[in-house]
Parts: sequence; C-alpha cells; structure tokens
Amino acid sequence: MAGNPAMTQEWLDAWKRKISESKEYKEIAKNWEGSVSIIVNADPAKGIPETIYLFTDYWHGDVLDFLICDKAKAESARFVMSGDYVRWKQVARKEVDATKALMQGKIKLKGDLTYVVRNIKTVNKVIDLLCEIETLWPDEA
Amino acid sequence: MAKGYAGRFLRVDLTDGRCSDFTVEETLLRKFIGGSALGAWLYLKGFPLEADPFAPESPLMIMTGPMVGSGFPGTSRFAVCARSPLTGIWGESACGGTFGPELKKAGYDGIVITGRSEAPVVLSILDGRASLINAADLWGTDTYETTDRLKERDRAVKVLAIGQAGENLVRFAAIGNDKGHFVGRTGLGAVMGAKRLKAISVRGDGKADKADEVRFREIQKEAFLELKESALAGSLHAMGSDANMDIGMINGDVPVRNWSVGEDFELSTALSGPTLSETYLTHAHACTHCPIACKRVVRVPDGPFRTEEGPGPEYETCATFGTMIMNRDLAGVIKANELCNRYGMDTISCGAAIAWAMEMTEKGLLTREAAGGLDLDWGNMETVLTLLNRIALREGFGDQLAEGSLRAAERIGREAVDAVVHVKGLELPMHDPRGFHGMGLAYMMSNRGACHLQHAVLATEQGMASWPQLFPMKDDYRGTTSEGKAELVFHSENYGILGNSLSLCHYLTDCLKPETIRDAFNAITGFDFTFADLMTCGARDWTLKRGVNNILGVRAGDDALPKRILTPLAEGAGAGSVPDVERLKHEYYALRGLDERGFPRAEKLGELGLDELRARLYP
Repeated sequence: MAGNPAMTQEWLDAWKRKISESKEYKEIAKNWEGSVSIIVNADPAKGIPETIYLFTDYWHGDVLDFLICDKAKAESARFVMSGDYVRWKQVARKEVDATKALMQGKIKLKGDLTYVVRNIKTVNKVIDLLCEIETLWPDEA
Repeated sequence: MAKGYAGRFLRVDLTDGRCSDFTVEETLLRKFIGGSALGAWLYLKGFPLEADPFAPESPLMIMTGPMVGSGFPGTSRFAVCARSPLTGIWGESACGGTFGPELKKAGYDGIVITGRSEAPVVLSILDGRASLINAADLWGTDTYETTDRLKERDRAVKVLAIGQAGENLVRFAAIGNDKGHFVGRTGLGAVMGAKRLKAISVRGDGKADKADEVRFREIQKEAFLELKESALAGSLHAMGSDANMDIGMINGDVPVRNWSVGEDFELSTALSGPTLSETYLTHAHACTHCPIACKRVVRVPDGPFRTEEGPGPEYETCATFGTMIMNRDLAGVIKANELCNRYGMDTISCGAAIAWAMEMTEKGLLTREAAGGLDLDWGNMETVLTLLNRIALREGFGDQLAEGSLRAAERIGREAVDAVVHVKGLELPMHDPRGFHGMGLAYMMSNRGACHLQHAVLATEQGMASWPQLFPMKDDYRGTTSEGKAELVFHSENYGILGNSLSLCHYLTDCLKPETIRDAFNAITGFDFTFADLMTCGARDWTLKRGVNNILGVRAGDDALPKRILTPLAEGAGAGSVPDVERLKHEYYALRGLDERGFPRAEKLGELGLDELRARLYP
C-alpha cells in the first residue's frame, strides 16, 4: 500500500508540502508566528518503541522547518503538544477533533492557549491538511 | 443526620413576618441530595403548584447542597427556585459567588419564603438568627447600590439583591449576589420583587462537619491537581466562558442576527475571549473555593460606553448583545452587561428580546412609533442602552419587552411569534441546535424551558468532556446528526443535572473526573454512593421536575423546537442541517419512560421512588 510511514521525516515532508501548496492556509495563517512540536509517547505494542519528537515551524503563512528532533529541541518550541500514539493517529485520521482531544486531556498542550484559540482556524487547517496525507501506520503494517 | 448539611432550613412568611426553622429527613436528602432537586420536592409537597408565581402563597426557595462551603472547588453554588413568571412552569437558576457558602456558615441549608410584605424588607440572617428589616430606603435602587449600602452597615455580610427590574416585575428579572454573580434565568428576581423582598443579607461563622475530613483533604488535593492539568480549566481561566466565541463560530454554535445567519467571523473576532483579554480585562475573579477564576473583571476607560471597573460579560452576553444584534463593539456589550447587572435582568432573555425587536423593525412589523421613537436598527447600541432603561423601568415599548419575547410577539401576530426563538417561553441560550442536534433535544426536554445548564450536553456533544466510565460514549460526536443523540442527552442530563442538586459548578463538573466528585461527595456526607446511585438521583431529579411541570400543564406538544431552529441556515458549520425532532423525541421518550402525553409512566415513578408524585399524576 502506498503512503508515508507515520511520524517519519518522509511523513513530515509530505505534510510540509501539503501546507506549502495550500493557498487557503497561506491566507488563514498570515498572523501565525511560531513553532509547534509534537511528542508521540512511546508505545512498543503499537510499533513506537521510543518516544518520537517532531518539530514544525510556521511564520506568517510560510512553512519553515519540519524535522524529527530530540527532546530538547521539541521542548524549545513555542507550543508543545504531547499524547499517546493512538490519540495522534485518531487526530490524523479525523476520528477525533484535535480541540476536543485537547479539552479532554487526551492531548496536552504547553503554550499560550489564548493564542491558539485566537488562531484556531490556522490550527484546524494544518490538521485538515495532515489528514489528507496517505499514511502508513506502524500498527497496521 | 447526614454530614455536610447545616441540618436545618429557614421558613419565612413575609405576610406575617414570622421566621421559623424546619428540618428535612435524611431519607429525603439521600433521594434528592439538595439544591433545586430538594427545592422541587418541597414545592410539590408543601405548596399550591398552580398558584400564580406572583401570588403570596407561591414560594421562593433558595437552596444549597451538602458540598457547599466544603472547600472543594466549585462548591460556591446555590439554586433559586419558584414557579417562573416568564414561562409559568418550574423555574430555577443556579449561581456561584459568595452567598451559598455564607448561608451554610450561618446555619442553614436553604430558605423557603412565602407571603408578601406590606413594605419592602431585607431578610437578615446573622449566625442562625433571621429577622426582617424595613427596606423602604433601598426600594428603587439598583443591585450594586443595594449591596453597597447593606455592606456599609455590616462589611462581612454577603448579599442577594434585586434591582428595579425585579421591583417592577420584569418577567426576566435577575437577582445579584455581591455585584458579581447573577441568578439570571426564568425571572426569579420578579418573584422576589412581588414579595417586596429587596434583599437577603447573610453572615455566619459556623461550619458543617464532614464525615471523613482526612479523606476529603486527599480528594480535594487530587481535584486541584486535575484542574491544574485541565485544558478546559486553563481556557476558562485565560479567557473566561467567552473562549467559546471563536471556536463556537467555526463549529456552528454561535447564533447571529437573531438566529438567521450561520457565521460571521468578523463579529466573533471582535467579541471573542482573546479580544476581551487584550482590551478591557483588568483581572480574573473567582467564586469562593474556585481555582479557575473564570469571571472577567473589566473596565472601559473612555468613549460612549465608558464603564467603571466591574463584572464583565460572559460568552452568553457577548452573543446576545453582540452577534445576535449585529453589534461588534465589545465596549457596548460591557455597558449593556453592566446595565443588566445593575437593574437585575437576565442578559440572555433581555438580549434575545431586543434581537427579536430589531428583526421586527427590519421587517416592518414594529414601527418606530410603536417602539417609542427608538431606531431599532441592527447593532445600534445607543438605542439598546436606552431600551434597557425602559425595560427595567417598564416605560413605553420597554414595558412590552419586559413581558418577555413571546408575550411581546403575541401582541403583533403570527409572523412575530415565529421569530421568537424559545422553548416553553424561555429564550434559547446562545448555542445553535442546527450545529449540535443533541443540544436541540436538550432544549426541548429541559425542565425550565430552553436551557444549557440542566444537563452536560454542551460538554459531551461538543467534546469538552468524556465520561465513558459513566455511560457508553463515542470518542467524537458529529454535531450535525441526530443519530445516537437521544442516548447521549439522556445520560448527560442524568449526570449534568446533579450539578444543581450537589450545588457544584458545571465547569467543575466538566473539568473533574466523575470519580473525584463522587468520592468528595461521599467523604463529605458519609454516604456510599456509586455512579449508579448518582445517576439515579439525576434521573429522579429530572422526572420530579417533569411531573411538577405536567401538573402545571406541560404536555408532549410543548417538547418542541421553534420554527426558526427548524429552518436550515445557508452558511456555517450547521448549514443545511436541522435536528430530526421526531426521531430524537421518540427515542428520548422511550429512554425516559414518558408516555404519549409526555407524562412519566407510573412504573417509572415507582422505580425512582416518586410515589407521591405518582399519586398526583395518577389519582
């Protein structure tokens, strides 16, 4: 089956490409400033032997670094989101709305919540574009 | 005697000025817990239900619960109950602030007030001693001034006061607690006004014992940790309830232009929680025992809507005096909120009535002359402020709106009535059922008319909370479907309504694990309630109030959504979608055990231990 292995550099590159190509994103995100890291907690039973750290960076509608990184780099982001693999998978498959997962504590956020709410359309668009990527999930391989 | 309770209630007859105490058996406390559930029971057992809400014999009840004043987060609440002068059915409204805990400290679990005083009075309760004080000098003053003047006499008292709207029997009059917290819905301030009870002041130094203080402290600590971790609590602290404005507009929750437009992002951005924080917020304020501090304190330093520092608008008010009337000036919302607070008026019913009047003006059904010379154009805040004065003082067209939207519309005719967005006479809160079908059913079935706080549907359907340990829940509910919503509403009512009997803030119910709330309740009372016990109490509470409403004339046909809500929107997340009312109602009636008339079936009443109600409904 074609697709990008989840939570790999290849997957991040595909996501970055999607966002970069979106004119709608560029318009919606013109006020967004700052990086967002995604921490995927280890879950060996699901094919995630170690915690994965992803770093994504955005500036006024442009997309900057999208990297697999270490813990220190991830924690340096303006917004740090962490959660279990199954939760991220639900979000990336549009099975659970990211805002709801956040409110229910299934995904944690460190950072200015007011800024996120102010820019919720940007956040939703980035996640919508993530959901469009063909993804290979390690527990389904 | 169960722990957590003060152990006695105060009975006041304003006609003869007599104050006396009474007690409630523990078996009843185990069945109804407290708050509005116990209030409904006392009402059913002790009073003529059909009496006019303004009649002396119709009671006004102010109730707390066993957790109130315990120090557990969110337990500052109290409920005020009476037959509603706005809807004619069961009326209740809960409030946070300072009054509930102070009443417990003064030695009472609740107050039941009947009669009508010859002259205006203040009920003073000082450490278990109640007396009536002439309040002729306070009559005609607003809630802020009344509160200030009572506190000048005794700085430590906590005050419940009505303003001019309550005195003038405005049918959506509110009651203010210490200038920052309001008993808003169903017009209970007017019941207080009819009794010529201007205010209640209370002070006490007592404390209700807990069954297991050590265990309680452990759970209390756990609750504070949960709140620290909760994104919802963080959101409420940072932005107040108006955090909903931005997200709600995207999700199809926020009504625009008297429920006729599906989205307007310029409006929501101008009126949102982040905007309020960046412009007029001076600081956050908390009810007693609450670490969240969702209340906004605001100041508008200059301009036409200059407002001294004081309580700021919540989300509902930003919608009624913002998106609903096409006003994008947050300072105008703050001023309208202040006027409603001072006069003592429910900002939801009041703002909704004004939105309706603006639509009537646009459609030519309400002329400028009929509106007392006012230009009721969309977004005209200067006119709105003038109209607020006239409503509270019952002057000119304001006198008609003071009767509530539905009565005002009935004077005009069918088309005007169709534009009133209400259930059972109570204007809808600012959450659109076309975006969330479960909320539509919850509005239809709420026992005080359209309500977002007699249940936890807002939290469960919109995904702010998930309690699979209480009842089967999906990970995510799509708003614009009616499938599976009857079951969600049924369970969310049984759990959410407990907030009103436990006297626990709904936000805390949403943020905390149900286990934490249950364990705190048990540690305080010494009861050993399971989740099933609590959910049964919730079902009993709902069914009791439903039976009271049946006696007051509610039938299946009243469980309906207004025409506007059954008209699809052209834009927004709820576009093209309306709740499937027949399906929702059919499935819900089966779950709730209601017959084709909308009465609880006799066997359901027996199952819930409501034999006295069964005897009344099935004589």
